[in-house]
Amino acid sequence: MIAAVPGVDAALELRARLADLYGAYDDALGEGVYERWPEFFTETCRYQIIPRESYELGHPIGLMQAESRGMLVDRVAAIRNTMLYAPRIVRRLAIEPAGIRLSASFAVFQTMLNEPSQVFLCGRLYDRVVEDGGALRFAERICVTDSTLVPTSLVFPI
Amino acid sequence: MAADGGAGGSPRELDGRRWPDRGASRVPNWVYTDPAVFAREQERIFEGPSWLYVCLDAEIPNPGDFTRSRLGMREVVAVRGADGQVRVLVNSCAHRSMQFCSANRGSVKEFICPYHQWTYDLEGKLLGVPFRRGLKGQGGMPDDFRPEEHGLKQLAVASRNGVVFASFSQPNETFEDYLGPLMLGYFDRVFNGRELKVLGYQRQRLPSNWKLMFENIKDPYHASLLHVFLVTFGLFRMDQQSAVEMDDTGRHGVLVNRRAEQKANEATAQMRAFHQNLKLADPRLIDPVREYPGDATVVMQTLWPNLIVQQQSNGLAMRQIVPLDAQNFDLVWTHFGYADDPPEMTERRLRQSNLFGPAGFVSADDGEAMILSQAGIAAAEDDECLVEMGGRDVANVPHTVTETAIRGFYQHYRSVMGL
Repeated sequence: MIAAVPGVDAALELRARLADLYGAYDDALGEGVYERWPEFFTETCRYQIIPRESYELGHPIGLMQAESRGMLVDRVAAIRNTMLYAPRIVRRLAIEPAGIRLSASFAVFQTMLNEPSQVFLCGRLYDRVVEDGGALRFAERICVTDSTLVPTSLVFPI
Repeated sequence: MAADGGAGGSPRELDGRRWPDRGASRVPNWVYTDPAVFAREQERIFEGPSWLYVCLDAEIPNPGDFTRSRLGMREVVAVRGADGQVRVLVNSCAHRSMQFCSANRGSVKEFICPYHQWTYDLEGKLLGVPFRRGLKGQGGMPDDFRPEEHGLKQLAVASRNGVVFASFSQPNETFEDYLGPLMLGYFDRVFNGRELKVLGYQRQRLPSNWKLMFENIKDPYHASLLHVFLVTFGLFRMDQQSAVEMDDTGRHGVLVNRRAEQKANEATAQMRAFHQNLKLADPRLIDPVREYPGDATVVMQTLWPNLIVQQQSNGLAMRQIVPLDAQNFDLVWTHFGYADDPPEMTERRLRQSNLFGPAGFVSADDGEAMILSQAGIAAAEDDECLVEMGGRDVANVPHTVTETAIRGFYQHYRSVMGL
């Protein structure tokens, strides 16, 4: 019989809940249901996509930035209602957090109508996840892109 | 100013190309696609007597600080010397033309080409050639080799209020004369001597001719129609007191506008992009404050041939145009503020930056529009674009229902290009 080790159950549970969070996030964005995107964040969250060059220089401005869930809602509203862009699909590799360090590599691919699929952006995520009203949510997600160069436009969040 | 452009007596043909009748109110589609036109642009515009934007002083504050840039097809390195002066050196070793600098920015005491370790000082002077005298009496450079004749090529440099420009062929006018008094006034409005601070870099590659980028910022007509965010939140709108102005040649220009309210009127009735009921979930995104004298809240300035100075509300940026070939260019964004900005102003600029750049609520529209323009143009090289909004002439006007600044651009373009 194996004796219970204090803390292990809690750690396993946290790990499972984190996997659920990352999985659900991937599902929502992978299916293009960007309306669900803000739900994964806390009310006062910080979200940013920033080129590594600027990240390392400590510059505040990246490619996309938000400092509240409301700003994420506004971003989705703009994507759906106000911005002009050619149709495209952005596909993502499933992201799994490495333990509870909450950083992960990412790659997203983009396919324009009648064009071959291409690697769009890749880089590293730096996340901070917190308990928020009974759910785990992102208090901070910084997506650091390896290249400063964006092929054409960055329409959808990562 | 005449609308007809075209210097008298210059050849009007390029590989059989002939500019359509009606002067600058028509633009032939082949200027956006023909590699021969692109090659002549490099020679006469980018390597001709133009002052090209290079960088901000704030990027290279101390001796030895350098930043790499690309002017037209040529790579350069801007470096601050021990004497505090900025020099702009061609990124090509005097020995075998190797790109000796491959970092985007940094700080050095000297430049060493990695291939054969030829070493240059911060002024581009050749300091050392390994084995110049040979080894044990064998080999080495010829006796008449003169290091002083083999420095790095450097450009003429002009600097004003923290902004560095350079030229491959010394222009016969100072930077100030090149801008002219009207454009210089708008330039000095943002670059008023306050020390600048870089807030972020962005870079995007657009499959489009570089001139479409310029035309986009010389065209206030589209701004009131395409951009929901500008129109709805009154950041740039045709019904506001506004102006389109140029220098005497038509090569530089500004679009000036004033902030409007989110209220319907006779003009907004024609703007499908106006959404009276659009509300932001977090209105801090667009919460501009006045920071310049006068009542203009937007001044978008295009400086021939590679710079757009963006002052839209509190969003400040240099947008540098880097042509790659006839149908591709990179747009390099340097967002900035002032060194003495209080933290609230930096936050404001950060929030407003969501409007600009490759993911901008406004600028992403422009990038996508240029891609679609180029696609249409490339499929119809023998057609022409119509540029008649506001008339066929080139003149400064106190409104934005016009494409006059595009005509001004092509008036000058034709004279430089001999088309």
